Amino acid sequence: MKDKIINPFKYVAGVTSFITGIIIISATAITGYFSKTHFPDIISVKTCPGFSIWYFFLQGFSNWIVLSLILYLIAVIFSKSSVRAVDIFGTQAVARFPYLIASFIGFSDSINKFGQYILWTYMQNGAPVDLSAPDVVIAIILMVLTLALTIWLVILMFNAFRVSANIKGSKSIVLFIVAFISSIVITHYISNFLIFKFS
Amino acid sequence: MSKIWIDNMDKKLPIFCPSCGSGLKVNSLYCDSCQTTISGLFELPLLLKLEQKEQDFIIDFVKCSGSLKIMAEKLKLSYPTVRNMLDDLISKIEDLQNHKQ
Repeated sequence: MKDKIINPFKYVAGVTSFITGIIIISATAITGYFSKTHFPDIISVKTCPGFSIWYFFLQGFSNWIVLSLILYLIAVIFSKSSVRAVDIFGTQAVARFPYLIASFIGFSDSINKFGQYILWTYMQNGAPVDLSAPDVVIAIILMVLTLALTIWLVILMFNAFRVSANIKGSKSIVLFIVAFISSIVITHYISNFLIFKFS
Repeated sequence: MSKIWIDNMDKKLPIFCPSCGSGLKVNSLYCDSCQTTISGLFELPLLLKLEQKEQDFIIDFVKCSGSLKIMAEKLKLSYPTVRNMLDDLISKIEDLQNHKQ
């Protein structure tokens, strides 16, 4: 069971994972549109104003494509196996499943109120917010849940790369970190561009 | 009683000397039917130097006509997982061949 949660790619890859992954990313974009939750780079989760639905689709798909493309290039250069693009792209798409769950977080008012409270209390920014004890508890639970989902996402992305590229040991860790950091930087700029275009 | 148990258990063919770690060779062969023993010095075939599960993988792979896709379906594993198993096996066979040379 644990194996299927942290490394489902031992059992699922290829076209099946590609189609499943596209459904996951699309569902995340639609949920994010309604809950006003966006993902400004490959691991960030934030609440946002009401943008067009195309913003959420473009952001979701760019986060997936940028990381997958970098990992595919790395795999082609460094792997001794014959790597299939459909495995890299498919497994990376499925790996984004934890952020489908995270896209529901924006439906809670508590997290928004908590953010506004922090902004007003510590930065004198915005307006005073009346924050109840249940709001604080719910906000903290959701923040811990988001952190857990982010850790799960990173583990899934790494295992997806390890299985589909057949790169092992410290080499796989170093190459993944390089791809991961590069993707964060690139997707951050893409999201800034999309926010500028759609706001 | 204990002899019967040893006879029936799955015994692992040792391929390395437990004393010095060198590769073992075959010294004698025995016919269970007529009790003839042949002594000599024979090299272990490469495939016998692999573990049982690796030998089973090769047999399954041949039975699947060398198709990783069919093999993946049969083992209920993903294509890249089976390809990685095959690549690891190829690497081990190459190591054994280089060790022999």
